[in-house]
Amino acid sequence: MMDFSQIIPALPALTDGMLLTLRLLGLSVVGGVVLGTLLALARLSDRRVLSGLAKFYVNYFRSIPLLLVISWFYLVVPLIYNWLTGSFEPVGAFTSCLVAFVMFEAAYYAEIVRAGIQAIPKGQVNAAYALGMGYGQAMRLIVLPQAFRKMTPLFLQQSIILFQDTSLVYAVGLLDFLNTARSKGDIVGLPHEFLIFAGAVYFVISFGATLLVKRLQKRFAV
Amino acid sequence: MTAMIQLSNVSKWYGDFQVLTDCTTQVAKGEVVVVCGPSGSGKSTLIKCVNALEPFQKGTILVDGVSVGDPKTDLPKLRSRVGMVFQHFELFPHLSITDNLTIAQMKVLGRSREEANDKGLKYLDRVGLKAHAAKFPGQLSGGQQQRVAIARALAMDPIAMLFDEPTSALDPEMINEVLDVMTGLAHEGMTMMCVTHEMGFARRVADRVIFMDRGHIVEDCAKEEFFGAPRGERAQQFLSKILQH
Ligand SMILES: Nc1ncnc2c1ncn2[C@@H]1O[C@H](COP(=O)(O)OP(=O)(O)OP(=O)(O)O)[C@@H](O)[C@H]1O
Ligand SMILES: [Mg+2]
Repeated sequence: MMDFSQIIPALPALTDGMLLTLRLLGLSVVGGVVLGTLLALARLSDRRVLSGLAKFYVNYFRSIPLLLVISWFYLVVPLIYNWLTGSFEPVGAFTSCLVAFVMFEAAYYAEIVRAGIQAIPKGQVNAAYALGMGYGQAMRLIVLPQAFRKMTPLFLQQSIILFQDTSLVYAVGLLDFLNTARSKGDIVGLPHEFLIFAGAVYFVISFGATLLVKRLQKRFAV
Repeated sequence: MTAMIQLSNVSKWYGDFQVLTDCTTQVAKGEVVVVCGPSGSGKSTLIKCVNALEPFQKGTILVDGVSVGDPKTDLPKLRSRVGMVFQHFELFPHLSITDNLTIAQMKVLGRSREEANDKGLKYLDRVGLKAHAAKFPGQLSGGQQQRVAIARALAMDPIAMLFDEPTSALDPEMINEVLDVMTGLAHEGMTMMCVTHEMGFARRVADRVIFMDRGHIVEDCAKEEFFGAPRGERAQQFLSKILQH
């Protein structure tokens, strides 16, 4: 027989795990969108070298598994940090994972932003220039705000995928929601119950968010 | 009279294709010049060269004495002094009408919000749309949007205005409300270069008419002369076709 009652005493730990998951998700989305936007602008730049580098970056990170990036950055980020700052403070697994997610997701957000920028008619840029705006102002004040509005559903969709992918941090021992559920289940000897519960939580959050995206898509389509 | 806009032997290529060939003309201060010609003859390209929205390879363009093609010229600053109105209005759809009118005043000219608001609303009132200040562009008709676009350009206190077919995307019943605004501007002495096929407007308002064909300026004369007897055969054909409508 299944026994779900043991989940209740584990709820505080599970909540902590979910908070870590959400913190990682939130920071990764913000960092990923910012870096992704810079990459998109670089890719659309007239400067061949700049756009070439951005293109390589995007294609590279889209071609390797996320798990590899997480494991690899776990080893490399502390080295680089210590080398840059000269200090030997240890860098936590959380920071390494955050850097990995930001850099990996940026490649995906960059493609979304690029498509969004390209969907804004050239006439809008010309109008901005004709009013005396420079490239930076035209992007910041006119093009990107419109592109982001158009892209909101895609951003959310990508972020739902990222929400699920954050569970890969088990590879470096971070206690996110899934990893907490797994280890608690093992400790009390009820691994099935805890995993089923975790699955239900992921499903409710992801599916709920997907429904929200669908509704947004309808609104934004008008 | 001094030339506000002076084009001398301007040529432009898109790759191998020559869009403009040796174009020379000028617009004096306070003068209204209408540019017409068949589709693809280079009218939009020519007018976009004037405020450097398109680069050109040969010749010179001076706007108020400033050389447009000179790499040392501060192009954003130059453009901020020349108003431009587009065929498809190009209001910023994510901004309210008020913000459309004020954003460049504040971000480009460095005016305070208050000053920009006052000026923007003054011109919005002038084009008869003061009641619509809080709306968004999508809530206005084409003719109203184009009038806002004109007000947006005027709020920058331009020394000249460029129009690229400002009425050709409009339903017929809205054309006149836009032409009326332009006529008012002309009577106030604004320097204007207008690409348009509205020959009624040209007859009433223009000082000179330029006729372009395949990248060449083939007629450039006072309007009386142009409508009296355009010399070239292409211009004759063009006019008879246009005036049938
Ligand atoms: N970006 C471009 N690349 C290549 N060719 C172009 C480009 N823009 C315009 N052309 C070509 O240059 C020529 C002149 O175009 P332009 O838009 O200036 O004509 P126009 O006189 O304004 O025509 P219309 O009345 O249709 O607006 C056309 O043959 C057009 O196909
Ligand atoms: Mg044109």
